[in-house]
Amino acid sequence: MPLTRGIIATLLASVAFSASAQTRDGDPTLRQPPGAVFTNGVLTAQAPTPAPPASAPSPSAANPAQPDESALRYFAAQGDTRRVDAEIARLRALYPNWTPPADLTQLSAQSALQPDVETDRIWSLFTEGRLAEARAAIAARIATDPQWKPPAELVSALDIAEARIRLVNASDNNQWRTVLSIATDNPSLLTCANVDSLWRVAEAFAKTNQASRTRDVYTYVLTNCGNRAERLATLQKAVELLPEAQILDLLKFERKTGAEQDDFSEVRDELARRRVERAATDPKLKVSTDDLAVVERLAEGESAPGNALLLGWYNYHHEQPEKARDWFKTALDRNGGAKAAEGLALSLRALNQFIPADAVAYEWRDKSKDNLNVYLDVVTALLSQDPPLRVDPAVITRSIPVITREKFSNGGQALGWYSYNTGQFRTARDWFAKALNWKPDDEPSAYGLALSYLRLNDRAGFASVANAWRGRSDRIAELANGGTGSRLPPEPRAVPTVPEEPVVGQRRIEAVAPARPAETWYPESTPLRVSAPRAPAGRGAKCNGTGNPLTLSPGAALTLGWCLMELNRPLEAVTAFDQAILRGSGRTKQDAAYGKSLAYLRKDLTSQAAVAAAQAPQPPQRQVELSATILAQRAIAAYRAGRYVEVILALGERARLVPEQNDLMLLRGWSYFKLGRYDDAQRIFQTVQRTGYSDDANVGLNAILEATRPIRQY
Amino acid sequence: MSVKRLGGLLTILAGLALTIGSAMQPAASAGPEPLKMEGTIQSSDWEAYRTRFVDASGRVIDNANGDISHSEGQGYGLLLAFAAGDRKTFEQIWTFTFTQFLIRDDGLSVWKWDPKAKPNVSDSNNATDGDILIAYALAKAGTSWREPRYLQAAQNIARAIGRNAIARNMGRPVLLPGSTGFGFSNRPDGPVVNLSYWIFEAFPVLAALAPEYDWNGVRSEGIALLQQADQTKTRLPPDWLSIREKGQFRPAEGFPPEFGYNSLRIPLYLLRAGVTDVEWLKTLKQRWLGNEGVAIVDVTTGQVKERLTDQGYAALAVTLACVLDKTQVPAALKTFEPNLYYPSTLYLLSMSFLGEKYPQCL
Repeated sequence: MPLTRGIIATLLASVAFSASAQTRDGDPTLRQPPGAVFTNGVLTAQAPTPAPPASAPSPSAANPAQPDESALRYFAAQGDTRRVDAEIARLRALYPNWTPPADLTQLSAQSALQPDVETDRIWSLFTEGRLAEARAAIAARIATDPQWKPPAELVSALDIAEARIRLVNASDNNQWRTVLSIATDNPSLLTCANVDSLWRVAEAFAKTNQASRTRDVYTYVLTNCGNRAERLATLQKAVELLPEAQILDLLKFERKTGAEQDDFSEVRDELARRRVERAATDPKLKVSTDDLAVVERLAEGESAPGNALLLGWYNYHHEQPEKARDWFKTALDRNGGAKAAEGLALSLRALNQFIPADAVAYEWRDKSKDNLNVYLDVVTALLSQDPPLRVDPAVITRSIPVITREKFSNGGQALGWYSYNTGQFRTARDWFAKALNWKPDDEPSAYGLALSYLRLNDRAGFASVANAWRGRSDRIAELANGGTGSRLPPEPRAVPTVPEEPVVGQRRIEAVAPARPAETWYPESTPLRVSAPRAPAGRGAKCNGTGNPLTLSPGAALTLGWCLMELNRPLEAVTAFDQAILRGSGRTKQDAAYGKSLAYLRKDLTSQAAVAAAQAPQPPQRQVELSATILAQRAIAAYRAGRYVEVILALGERARLVPEQNDLMLLRGWSYFKLGRYDDAQRIFQTVQRTGYSDDANVGLNAILEATRPIRQY
Repeated sequence: MSVKRLGGLLTILAGLALTIGSAMQPAASAGPEPLKMEGTIQSSDWEAYRTRFVDASGRVIDNANGDISHSEGQGYGLLLAFAAGDRKTFEQIWTFTFTQFLIRDDGLSVWKWDPKAKPNVSDSNNATDGDILIAYALAKAGTSWREPRYLQAAQNIARAIGRNAIARNMGRPVLLPGSTGFGFSNRPDGPVVNLSYWIFEAFPVLAALAPEYDWNGVRSEGIALLQQADQTKTRLPPDWLSIREKGQFRPAEGFPPEFGYNSLRIPLYLLRAGVTDVEWLKTLKQRWLGNEGVAIVDVTTGQVKERLTDQGYAALAVTLACVLDKTQVPAALKTFEPNLYYPSTLYLLSMSFLGEKYPQCL
């Protein structure tokens, strides 16, 4: 096998070279010359430069699949058939593919040696692995008989066995240069009979930044060694140490013909899994659907949480929150623990499922810093929803000690807004003050605090905030310039809704007395705010609204449209969106139709908005959002025009699409009122009142009382 | 270049026996005759030690520390086997030492081997005293028994010690207790040394094996440090000593400030190397032969923390008394009663030394 000889020789030359080149010490006089080998008390020199193939050193190197037969030959030469049989059994157990040499019988027949009981005993010690005792027996014999020389095969067998032990020990303790120097000094270790040693040498190369030599060792094994399990294990080790491209090269050695075929599919699966793993938390890295399918198959076929977790993260970071949620649930069911819970909470949050997100995040909050942070973020998001979510008061109550302990200013601020939006201004004031205390430079908390003072009519409190933030916050300054108390500041959120039991921090809701008569209060003085869908953020960055849409590409026209929306020039935006609808296709056309609808809605041109929305099919969620907005605006317009039946029809249609907000329920109530349907109006206002939106509902109920009182005032 | 280096190495090997022999002769002035050691431990005493502390694999077992082994124990085992003239056990211990301990990239030994740990090497740092003991024992045995394997290994280790464990501190060569973690840059109070790692009798041998390093300077610095110890309040060095500031003799941070099990060996090492004129030996003799006896002492307060009564510790005191005052060894100490590895080792080293150099005390 000249090819094998060549590879082994090259490999060894490189081992020798690397080991000597790695000498750390700066003292050149102490360096051993490359390839200097000390064996059995004799210092010999190998060629210091890479050896030519012809000089491949040991007999076992030329025959890589052979175990050490020296003990066997010795016993045969002694004619000790019992030991020969025992040694054959031992070697067969170690090397299943090995067959005993045919010339053994010849050896024992021609044996002319006197049986040597002592040497025999030493060989026995050696075959039992009792190396120190074998060595000691040799030393003892030399001590009593200085003329005696141990058989050369025995000494070389001991040398190799010791070298193997040292190589294992050095490698177990990360002494990589020792591993390489042992390999250099003992080339006969590097055979297919000792694949473990080859693997360790390969690792030593990798750990000393010689990855290409690592690959050479694995290539050697795959080219020369036949054991299926060892071949597969070789690739599995390679996966841990080599870059993917080199593994792909090694996979080409898979044997697809012959008696013993390889199956490296496990390794291919592992590569796919690692690709997904690398991309799992990086939205910019995508993997193929094939890779994902591999990991899904692995995840489905196991009961451990690892791959489910991996798929959770990949999907979470690649805009597939539903899939992410499902995989994290699976991982959690498989005892995936804190990480699975963290992923599940984040996915639910991404799906706007704040209440279940809060539940899981809360349960796992104490398991790690990450879990705590996720809980704080989720509960903050939950509290910050606009309009406020209807939540179990316990959800809010239990968040308070955590937010307080962590001095989490965003959470404090969210509690502030939640209280504010549910009409609890004292509580709001206290939370904003706390959040500001935790993070003194937090302008939004200061703004909330200023608003709370205004609502509480606390002039001194307001003045102190306004003074403290003079020159630092335009909007607080604006509040101050607008006067304190003469008019209400703009609401920070849409008309608030209140949970059934509006208890925050053990404070009861504060009643705010209605200040204005019903007739003039509702529809005229306060324009109903319907939060229209917002244009996608960031699209109009640095836009100035110039450019002729008619000469622009569909994409650029779309961008211009969004830009003009940001500049609040909706009618010009319609022209730009029209251009994109006319010449664009697919996503661009769809987005442009959406933008056009928003532009019309901005101008209260509801029916045009509905037409525009129909110009390109929209995704279901967007369709619902647009329709709901259009119907709400249509209802408001109808109310203003005094067409109360239309109001009720529009709102009824809308209520089939989305849950009705309290403000629109009030509108419906007032429409019934205007139509003289006092029973219906009363039912609506009472419903609103039960949800805690009592101030405005009371106004309506009082109006009904007045209207239905036997003696009218006019 | 490489051929020339190779030739040089062969020459060193060939002449090593002679070199070591001559190194043991006083070099510059009339000095002490180096220890021959071989044959100075009675075979019955050695058998008692060997059967108790050395197993079939050649492992020397520290039975007071969870039956672990360490490079120091392997080194002592080799040295005692040589002193007992037991080539067989020497080879046995060496096989274990070579295959299990001598695996470090820098050519030194790992220091800790635990039968219960996986892998067995539970701390792959080195300990310089273990390295010195192993190299010293190999050199002695290799010379006496003409075994080139031992001499080559001794030379490799001696060079590795010189390369890794000798540091310069304010221009003076000092012996670091390990190749990492004790130097000037490794800790705020570094360098930190352990004076009981100065195995004075080994330095001339190491100098013959690796003459490119300043072993004589290391030896002198050790004695100078001991003389400084004699100037402190309690006149005792701590086991672990910070020598960062000149003239400031302070216990190293993180170690108990005590003259402990380590330092007990220092007088034995001095005497075995023929160094009897260090004033500090008298200081110690007064403590050890007075009411206090051999003890672990807090070096900042002088308070006795633990009195040591095993015959191995008593042997240290009587050895000192014999050398300084020609005092006879009491009869009760003449019978070896091995119990624990460490004091048993000190006992045999003491008696081996007295048997060779001061037979009149026995």
